[in-house]
Amino acid sequence: MSRPIRTIAAVAAALLLAGACNSASTGGSPDEKGSAVRGVTDTSVKVGGIVSMTTASGYSKKDTDLGARARFDRANAEGGVHGRKIDYLGAQDDGQDPARNLAAARRLVQQDEVFAVAPMSSTTFSGADFLQKQRVPTFGWGTLPSFCGPSYIYGFGGCMVPMPGGTISQTWPEGLKKVMGGSAGRSVAILANDSDAGTFAIRTYRQSFASAGFEVTFAKASVPATSVPSDWSAYTKEILRSDGGKAPDAVVSVMQTPYNIGLFTAVKRTGYDGVLTDPTDYDPGLLTKSATRKALDGVHVLLSFQPFEQDSADMTRFRQDIRKAAGKEVPLNMHMMTGYMSADLFLAIAGKAGRNLTTASFQKAADGFSDTGTMVGDRAEPKGQKESFGCGALVRLKGDTYVVSAPFTCYPPIPFS
Amino acid sequence: MSDLLGFVLSGLVSGALYALLATGLVLSYSASGLFNFAHGATAYLCALAFHELHSGFGLPAVPTAVLLVCAVAPALGLGLDRLMFRRLARVGETAQIVATIGLLVALPALGLWTVELLEDAGAPVRPAENQFGLPGVGPSPAVSWQVADGVGVDSDQLITWVATAAVALALWVLMRHTPLGLKLRATVDNRSLVELRGMSADRLSSIAWMLSSALAGLAGVLATPLLGLSAHDFTLFLFVSATAAVLGRFVSVPLAFAGGLGLGVLQNLVAGYAGFAERITGFRTAVPFLILFAGLLLLTRRGRTAGTAVVDAPPVDPQAGLPWSRRWGPWAAAAVLLGSSFYTVTTPFWSGLLAQGLALSLVFVSFTVVTGLGAMVSLAQATFVTGAALTAGLLMSHGWPFAAAAAAGTCAAAVLGGLAALPALRLGGRALALATLALAFLADQVLFQIGWLRNGDTGWPIPRPVLGPLDLNDDRALGVALTVLVTAAVASLGALRASPSGRAMLAVRSAPAAAMACGVSVVRTKLVLFTLSAGLAGFGGIMYASYNTRVTATDFTAMTGLVWLAVVVAAGLRRPQFAVVAGLVYVLVPQVVADHVTESPHLPVILFGLAGLALANDPDGYCAAVPVRMHRRRAARAGARAGAGGGGTDSAARAAGTAGEPAAGGGPLADGRPVAGPGAAAGASRAAPPAGPPAAPPAPPAAPAAPAAPAAPAAPALELLGVRAGYDGAPVLHGVDLVVRPGEILALLGPNGAGKSTACRVAAGLVAPLGGRVRLAGRDATRDDPVARSRAGVLLAPEGRGIFPSLTIEENLALYLPVRDQRDAVYERFPGLAGRRGVAAGSLSGGEQQMLALAPLLQRPPRVLVADEPSLGLAPRVVDEVFRLLAELRSGGTALLLVEEKATEVLRVADTVAYLAHGRVAWCGPRAAVEADRLTEAYLGLAAAARQVPGGTGTVEGQEPGPGGHVAPPRSGDGVRP
Repeated sequence: MSRPIRTIAAVAAALLLAGACNSASTGGSPDEKGSAVRGVTDTSVKVGGIVSMTTASGYSKKDTDLGARARFDRANAEGGVHGRKIDYLGAQDDGQDPARNLAAARRLVQQDEVFAVAPMSSTTFSGADFLQKQRVPTFGWGTLPSFCGPSYIYGFGGCMVPMPGGTISQTWPEGLKKVMGGSAGRSVAILANDSDAGTFAIRTYRQSFASAGFEVTFAKASVPATSVPSDWSAYTKEILRSDGGKAPDAVVSVMQTPYNIGLFTAVKRTGYDGVLTDPTDYDPGLLTKSATRKALDGVHVLLSFQPFEQDSADMTRFRQDIRKAAGKEVPLNMHMMTGYMSADLFLAIAGKAGRNLTTASFQKAADGFSDTGTMVGDRAEPKGQKESFGCGALVRLKGDTYVVSAPFTCYPPIPFS
Repeated sequence: MSDLLGFVLSGLVSGALYALLATGLVLSYSASGLFNFAHGATAYLCALAFHELHSGFGLPAVPTAVLLVCAVAPALGLGLDRLMFRRLARVGETAQIVATIGLLVALPALGLWTVELLEDAGAPVRPAENQFGLPGVGPSPAVSWQVADGVGVDSDQLITWVATAAVALALWVLMRHTPLGLKLRATVDNRSLVELRGMSADRLSSIAWMLSSALAGLAGVLATPLLGLSAHDFTLFLFVSATAAVLGRFVSVPLAFAGGLGLGVLQNLVAGYAGFAERITGFRTAVPFLILFAGLLLLTRRGRTAGTAVVDAPPVDPQAGLPWSRRWGPWAAAAVLLGSSFYTVTTPFWSGLLAQGLALSLVFVSFTVVTGLGAMVSLAQATFVTGAALTAGLLMSHGWPFAAAAAAGTCAAAVLGGLAALPALRLGGRALALATLALAFLADQVLFQIGWLRNGDTGWPIPRPVLGPLDLNDDRALGVALTVLVTAAVASLGALRASPSGRAMLAVRSAPAAAMACGVSVVRTKLVLFTLSAGLAGFGGIMYASYNTRVTATDFTAMTGLVWLAVVVAAGLRRPQFAVVAGLVYVLVPQVVADHVTESPHLPVILFGLAGLALANDPDGYCAAVPVRMHRRRAARAGARAGAGGGGTDSAARAAGTAGEPAAGGGPLADGRPVAGPGAAAGASRAAPPAGPPAAPPAPPAAPAAPAAPAAPAAPALELLGVRAGYDGAPVLHGVDLVVRPGEILALLGPNGAGKSTACRVAAGLVAPLGGRVRLAGRDATRDDPVARSRAGVLLAPEGRGIFPSLTIEENLALYLPVRDQRDAVYERFPGLAGRRGVAAGSLSGGEQQMLALAPLLQRPPRVLVADEPSLGLAPRVVDEVFRLLAELRSGGTALLLVEEKATEVLRVADTVAYLAHGRVAWCGPRAAVEADRLTEAYLGLAAAARQVPGGTGTVEGQEPGPGGHVAPPRSGDGVRP
């Protein structure tokens, strides 16, 4: 061995030894020192969020932050939770980048020392393991698998990813039944992106629609997933001949807005007059542009919370809170609802935990928590960490407004096979 | 049938956009030789600007589009060319590829940041996010027509077709039927010859960049309704259109254009008919990248296959020769400091970040193997990372221990690396970069979509290992362990570089053919490089995933790999430790910026992009630039102390070491008398030129034997006075004095390597002299570039053929003779050319090419013609003709500097003869004074012994100078006198 290598080896061994001694003594456990609970003082609770705001794809969930702020502002105006004001730090931008998502989670916990993370809404959640290990209650949009299972992570509408051995929510086919006047003898075609996620969606919804009584005549994950096709004729031709050479009664798209615009425009140009439906296009911003208004006109959109068009005391308060937090009248969108209801679930559980707020007391309160009649339906934990709350509505884009076509209802789920 | 028609028609829409982008790519590539990865970002920027101006500020659509395409986009192209591309054209290919990758992320961020700032300032901008169904130039929503059953067309499609067709027509007219187009095509063909002909290649390349940028802008505006405002989609679109550029081999605009259209149709047909692929998840998504990959493999001309080390010449290593402790000491100290910092100063947050940075460093170090050592740009490193981490996670979920799973994952990555190396056996440079990128996308879209491998969106947990008492679940312990691992990786790569295998790798990098001749297997070396690098990246990926404690298939995408490469190259690829710096900077800088500068996430992105800009100045990265710059500064200081004035910073040091040379501008020059004469020859061998008897060369050919009669000689047309010149550290000319007068031929003779061509290049301005002066018609032109020299009437006919091979005979002539009558006169004189005026010049025989190069000069004789071996490789009969032509030019008043090795022939036409040996004029005098054995002697660079060489005058060609001959000492200067 040459001298340099020996030197390096010796230094390395020394460093590792030091590391071993220290890691053995601290044991790598999350840092909860003595009686002081991270982020909780006598008068305040620190909360921060993680939201993807800037992305290369042009898709942003920025308004999630506004929604959460609106909800926390109201809580503080009402005196806080058991005398503690919510110190909401705002949301970190993770840019849909897994590395930044984890860095944001670490910053919130280790640098800002928050008690909880709410809202967390992104397309990636690589900070989930860290938050779970550090015992940080986290609230967000349960469209990612991390919201299903870990005990510290809660989806505001439950876990929305069907898991093996879990259940599938039937809100979509049941809602569609109301629109179409039953499912008997009705055929549906389901189209998704050509990716693993798309394949999974096809598998889920094929079962979901079939068990609601629909005849699924077409279910393919065949649309290129990375960029929107400029031409849809290849797909529309196949779909519109799928029901024994005829067009199916409903076309179900499990894709994002740009794809839906293209698909529905192409389908309509062929003179198709059946039902069109998708789960993503509930965004009043779409109404402001004539092209999208025309493309999505008549489409039934699935949503997992109470539609803004459905009047209720909760919805009125939501409108007021958002207006107050934004400082002006802004068009509502689902990201606001995501943030708002994430914060709401946190507040509800924290309220149940009582004055002595610790991670343990919080978790204890969550275990067995339930309430009813919220804007996301009837909530219950830890059921929500296994399946979605199973409530939803369909709205239809008509002219330049959305109209409720299947009111907000909760349906019993079916087992996922 | 109507299906097919429909697929074709609508395929032409994306085809038109591909065509526009591909054409822009080809234009910019031919202008500066670099593949612009940021071309799609330019398109995105224009789409964003169109959206803001039209929807936000409410400007009308068509004028806005015209403004963007005709003014804003070209201005952007011009600015980038000035700031960046122009300088990048002179650096290595890796830096070129990477600098534009930096722009690819920086330009969109810059646009979004501008929007953010405008919004803060209260301007009526619209948010750039979540915008769908954006209006284009046409009506919104688009009007649609049913052409035939099942075949529909809408107004956006129609506008795209019409605009593209108009652009195609305009480009054709511009390139084929305007002088500007002719010059642009000439630049593509032979950039340096264009400069020698007095056209500024820089200005032409600016124009090409402006055109290219305008085309990107047009594509952006047209694609707005289709792609919305997704920078990501625009970039993907660009990569696909790269296929079309490959089809045009990056030089042919029409082929690229047609390729783009065909690509769109092909893609549509595959989407329509690829029913067979339904069982393979991701196949349809991957179609464009399959086409790109296949296109690269099939269409790329087999060229230089390894790296591009010829232009990638390694920089001066200021640390070479330093003891081990000086070279590695600072780095070792840094590693120890870093390792101990975990337990002393850093907070948990920063400990975690440092550990993350170190894990990433392991991945980054893999770039220094494949790209640093092998000079092959791999954009697939993220694929190896994902592949390794997924494999390891899969195995760990089956109960494998960490070490075994990590080893298996590393092997999986190495296998993937071996696969990725296959295209590298055939491709090199940017084609290889694109091929690895295509592979990375294919892996993302097909391989990592396999359910059992990726486990859905959940991915696999990768718990951190616990080694006895060492529990890596503690960030600090992980950090220390990673410090050790990274140090080990860096040290072993350093050892590898110095080992025989490392030398073999460097040999393959710089000269594959030569390496093969030495018994080094190129194939094996490349495979080893890729496998090693992929394995290292894979191992780094597993460590990174274990820092995350989980891996999902979307954690590291192809685009991530692209950004990684940019970050590493910005820091430097020459040493593995630079990659470690890159890893730490990549992780830490955004957090530091967020803490101390701005919350806006755009700024760090812009900073990373601008690092690419810095590459234009320091192509070896910022880490390498520090010691080099320090070294230069030291050298400059040392040079200043030594009192050697003049020259650049580097040459100052050199000048100090070679102070024995005759000082430029001293001695005989002071009195203004020409020095071409025996005195100069004598002086060249002594330290200081003596003021010997002034021997003005015989200017008029009528009196060749009257050197002492300077009766009203014409003013010199070209003078080289005490010129010293060389190439980066290798001096070639040590004070050369030459004078050429109008109507005179000065023949410059000398053995190979004497510096003849360098003298020509100095005369033409291609090489800037380190000392001495160049005067044109009495005016100092030392600082003039080739373009200015050429405009002042100096024409260099370079070694080889001074023609543009891809242009036709007519076009070649038109570049020098814009007036038709003059061209007709040429055809009259050379009927052989007249019959074939539409033929590409490259297909002419060598003699015809030389005639084509010289013929137009008769119509417009230049003031000075510098001809570098005009007879090289020509048949004797053609040589005669060439010399007749040169003599004709002389009688037209042109001053000729003629470099020749065929001494016999040239002596028949020369008026004055100068011998060059070892970078000095060994003898100069009238032709009549040339003695046969003197010629031989000077020619061979031999000492007095050369007198025994039997009087071969013209037969010495090709012989090498004897090893012992330092400078041909003149025989006491007597023989010069007639």
